[in-house]
Amino acid sequence: MAEVELVTGGRAAARRGTFTRDRLVFGYALLAPAVLYMCLLVGVPFFFSLYLSLSDATVGSQVARFVGFQNFIAIFQDSTFRMALRNTVMFTVIAGICKGLLGTLMAFLLIQEVGGKKFIRSLIVLPWTLPVAISALAWKWMFDPQFSAINYVGVRLGLIHGWPNWIGEPGLAMAAVIAVNVWRGFPFAAIVLMAAFSAVPLELLDAGKVDGATFFHRYRYIVIPVVAPILFVGLLFDTVFTLSDLSIVYLLTFGGPMGTTEILPTRAFEIGIQAGALGRGAAIALVLFPILLPVVYFLLRNLRRRETL
Amino acid sequence: MSGVEVIRGREARRAEGARRARGRLVRRHLLVYAGLLPFILIAVFPVFWMAVTAFKTDNDLVNPTVFPFWFHQPPTITHFTYLFQHTYYGDWIYNTMVIAACVSAITLLVAVPAGYALARVGLPGAENMGIAIFLGYLIPPILLFIPLSRVVGLTHLIDTKWALVLVYPTFTVPYCTWLLSGFFKTVPPEIEEAAQVDGCGRLSALLRTVIPVSWPGILTAVIFAFTLTMQDFLYSLVFVSVSDQKPVPLGVATDLIRGDVYYWGSLMAGALLVGIPVAILYSFFLDQFISGITSAAVK
Repeated sequence: MAEVELVTGGRAAARRGTFTRDRLVFGYALLAPAVLYMCLLVGVPFFFSLYLSLSDATVGSQVARFVGFQNFIAIFQDSTFRMALRNTVMFTVIAGICKGLLGTLMAFLLIQEVGGKKFIRSLIVLPWTLPVAISALAWKWMFDPQFSAINYVGVRLGLIHGWPNWIGEPGLAMAAVIAVNVWRGFPFAAIVLMAAFSAVPLELLDAGKVDGATFFHRYRYIVIPVVAPILFVGLLFDTVFTLSDLSIVYLLTFGGPMGTTEILPTRAFEIGIQAGALGRGAAIALVLFPILLPVVYFLLRNLRRRETL
Repeated sequence: MSGVEVIRGREARRAEGARRARGRLVRRHLLVYAGLLPFILIAVFPVFWMAVTAFKTDNDLVNPTVFPFWFHQPPTITHFTYLFQHTYYGDWIYNTMVIAACVSAITLLVAVPAGYALARVGLPGAENMGIAIFLGYLIPPILLFIPLSRVVGLTHLIDTKWALVLVYPTFTVPYCTWLLSGFFKTVPPEIEEAAQVDGCGRLSALLRTVIPVSWPGILTAVIFAFTLTMQDFLYSLVFVSVSDQKPVPLGVATDLIRGDVYYWGSLMAGALLVGIPVAILYSFFLDQFISGITSAAVK
């Protein structure tokens, strides 16, 4: 009797062994196309771009010589690049702060119980859901030097004096570009925050009220710990999108006037594609990498938390 | 004081209180609407202005003496007919549809199995592999477009819409794999186990039981593959410079300007005709998009 049990036990274990192996083969086979695709079209190009940035590759030539850090030295000597780097950081930070503030204000208004909330929400998310190139064109028309709708309204309301050329004057062009980015991004911040507010446990708030916690304490110890990490993740995603978006500047000002709205993506495009200096263009784009790295690190840490929960 | 009077007094006080509460409610509503109004105006105005521009006659458009935000000559559809008769707009729409359909198909073929493998098969290291795939979404096109121009050059697809079909899955696959793996985790494992007990193989259990109940997640993935494709500008700008191969956003932005002259009527018509349907479609699925990228923090 015991022997029989032992035998069946052994067989079951053997079966379980092939079971596990089959399952692993099956799983990796399902995963293989995705991994392969991502390696070939994201992994390989990324490392290829590291190589390009250390070479003198151009669009025309088939051979590229290894030139060490020459590209990086050259780009940092270029004053337009330095301006682009400064603009990129300024653009991302200022736009990020504005989006955070406007988004928070709008989220607070949208979580109030008022009629027609759904409809209002669907109108307000329009800037985020329109394809970005299309909204950049709409804004180019709004900033048109001759027929600017913004000037028309602004002058009649007494907010604007004269007839400024928003995308043609050095000081104003950057403001215009930031305004379009904020216009596009604030609904995203607001929706992320609304999702965050809805995650606040109401029972806990009520319990706090019953236990005599003040309004301030309820915010400090119940709402903020839930909301802050979500807003943080939303802003990180937005930073990735903002840092890598070329279309607003490209379509609105093309980096001008006199390079005052030049950002790293437009500079990389001009040098790497239009001027054909692949190596130098790759070097310019890679300067974004150290800026992106901490952002990506925090985002991945957040994802890992989702996995372990 | 008689009892009746006391009761009357109480009722009056209660009525007074209710009126005051209603007043407070109305005031609060008005306050919220007043706060939201500037946001609505700012969000909607550019789109309204696009629409007015698209339907105005050219004369009406450049007349500086009239109020610009309404029609002073009857609305016209000449800008739209111009697009279809004298530009490649029809081709651009066709290209966009072909690109979106192919990218969605490729994304599903790759992301459904991968998402399922990550969520269900219990592979060792599945978590890290999932994160490695999602990392692809966080490496933005701006870091990849220069090396990819060489890669696309090698395949001889450059200057055709197929170049975009090749590269767009670099952002749709990681996002949709992530989305679908989260979705598959919510499908009860009992249904596949039951199918396997009934003699189905692993693959047929997946195809016959898991896929049919997962169609909402799969539909969401298709919508995102489509809308993320429409949001791209950089890749199409770099890889496609032949007019009849362009997708709509690129074509409208680069081909409708002759010399230095912007033909705003047809530009806005072309932008609006595609922008609005995409925006509406996207807004229906926006909540899923947001929870897809932030769900870790929400939990």
